[in-house]
Amino acid sequence: MTAAATQMMNKRVLPGFLISVAFVMLLIFALGSAADAQLTAQVDNAHVKMGFFYHGSSIEVSGFSDKDADIIVKISSPDETSTFGKKGRRAGLIWMNSGELKFENAPQLYHLYSTRGVESILQEPDLDSNVIGYGALSRRIRILPAADQAEKTQWVSEFFRFKQSSNLYITSAGSISKKMSGTGQEYFLKIPWPYQALPGDYTVTVFSVQDKKIIEKAEAEIRVEHAGLVSGLSTMAKEQGALYGIISVIVALAAGFGTGMIFKKGGGAH
Amino acid sequence: MYLYLPVALTSINLMIPVGLGLTVGLLSGLFGVGGGFLMTPLLIMLGIPPTVAAATDSNQIVAASTSGTYAHWKVGNVDFKMGMYLLAGGFIGGAIGVQAIKVLREMGDADFVIKITYVLMLGIVGAYMLIESLLSMRKKDAESPNVIKETKAGAFLRALPFQTHFAKSGVTHSAIVPVLLGMLVGVLAAIMGVGGGFLMVPIMVYMLKMPMHVVVGTSLFQILFTCIEVTMLQAYTNHNVDFILAVLLLAGSTIGAQVGAIFGRRLKGEQLKIILAVIVLAVTVKIILELTLRPSLLIVQSGGH
Repeated sequence: MTAAATQMMNKRVLPGFLISVAFVMLLIFALGSAADAQLTAQVDNAHVKMGFFYHGSSIEVSGFSDKDADIIVKISSPDETSTFGKKGRRAGLIWMNSGELKFENAPQLYHLYSTRGVESILQEPDLDSNVIGYGALSRRIRILPAADQAEKTQWVSEFFRFKQSSNLYITSAGSISKKMSGTGQEYFLKIPWPYQALPGDYTVTVFSVQDKKIIEKAEAEIRVEHAGLVSGLSTMAKEQGALYGIISVIVALAAGFGTGMIFKKGGGAH
Repeated sequence: MYLYLPVALTSINLMIPVGLGLTVGLLSGLFGVGGGFLMTPLLIMLGIPPTVAAATDSNQIVAASTSGTYAHWKVGNVDFKMGMYLLAGGFIGGAIGVQAIKVLREMGDADFVIKITYVLMLGIVGAYMLIESLLSMRKKDAESPNVIKETKAGAFLRALPFQTHFAKSGVTHSAIVPVLLGMLVGVLAAIMGVGGGFLMVPIMVYMLKMPMHVVVGTSLFQILFTCIEVTMLQAYTNHNVDFILAVLLLAGSTIGAQVGAIFGRRLKGEQLKIILAVIVLAVTVKIILELTLRPSLLIVQSGGH
């Protein structure tokens, strides 16, 4: 099949072939969107560049949905495993590092914005299958080692507090504004993007909810990247450690001597 | 104005590290300590990952101690010969310490024992320095003749081979003594993950009987080389040095070290010792509180100590 298609793609056949493929795709797309309702998701400033003066950014998510639908916007990085040191008491008196904890299936960043509290507009199976809300997230995260449920609950809440302290985890109900527009509604959300979010790709998923059911989903991407000097230095630190170290030491020595010279001139009266 | 740190992966107001550098550099120029005890925890509080904080601090100390050594050298307060002996011991001690950690960790409760030993040692050194310098100040007030007592330990040290004179410090010791003491500090510094200035300064004052002003300059000279080694190792093996953060810190600390050195010349050796003793005791109390109060978060990013 592929071989036949390749053979067909000589100069004469190719334009006609492409046009017919495009026509078929358009037809499928038009039929699909006519059958579905009209949830859309658009992200403004979706390409975040972390330059020398970067201190976070601001992102806008907007689109159209069915009239009267509740909207949930979830922004999340892929699931990953992270390791933490855990503090425990020794001899009933002293707090020290007492081993490690592994958190599995936990994204580096998790932001959830909604028109109303998610637990009041969706049921647990839907929340869990789409990982909506801290409840669903805590049921998804695996912690090693955790002896029992009580211990797991404690460490998950510590984990959430750690993430919240650097704005990497946020949940906020009532932050999305809606207004009527034709037969449907327009929604709008503006959020500060935390500078602590690492470079990478983030998925924005918009859910439209009615009668305790998810009616539609739409997706968009946010890409966060190092740029300019930041990109150069971070690459060099990773890939040319020896040279990076030598430059760091030389600059430090030069700065130390340089300051000494300046003070020698300035403080010559001694 | 905010700057983004390419290795620490966080954003920081540029005045904060510059101010922090100034303060720590001042301590460095005054007392001959690296100041890691203050800098590293503060950087962690600012959101810098613990491993990056420690590595970047060592890069910054290279600059501050260069500046400080230069300032003290100009007024003849660096004993290069003594510094080299201590350094030789320190390098050997550091290598032994790194191996010792592995053995201790395998034995189990090592961290606990290390922390307790460190606190006890700081407490004892601080208290001894404070009492001793207060007493000797009072003695000077009473103008009692300064008689050097010949102790058994002193006689033993004098009997050791390779006796050599350290002109700058005005003392004579067996070459073995500074090398062994340097080794001791090197081992402890490696095990405890601290620079060792707090232990090195009292050792030079009380065991090597060096004058306080020469101690400060010589300690800085020694710290300079230790921190060059640590910076290189950290950059090469762990990729943990943040160049931008280091530049901001050293912009403050190199100036602080000069001011500290000038200020230190106006103070008497005894006064310097008393202030340092108070700082050492304050750090001891801080560590005790840290160990006994419930931390605000029970999990920490991996890699810190």
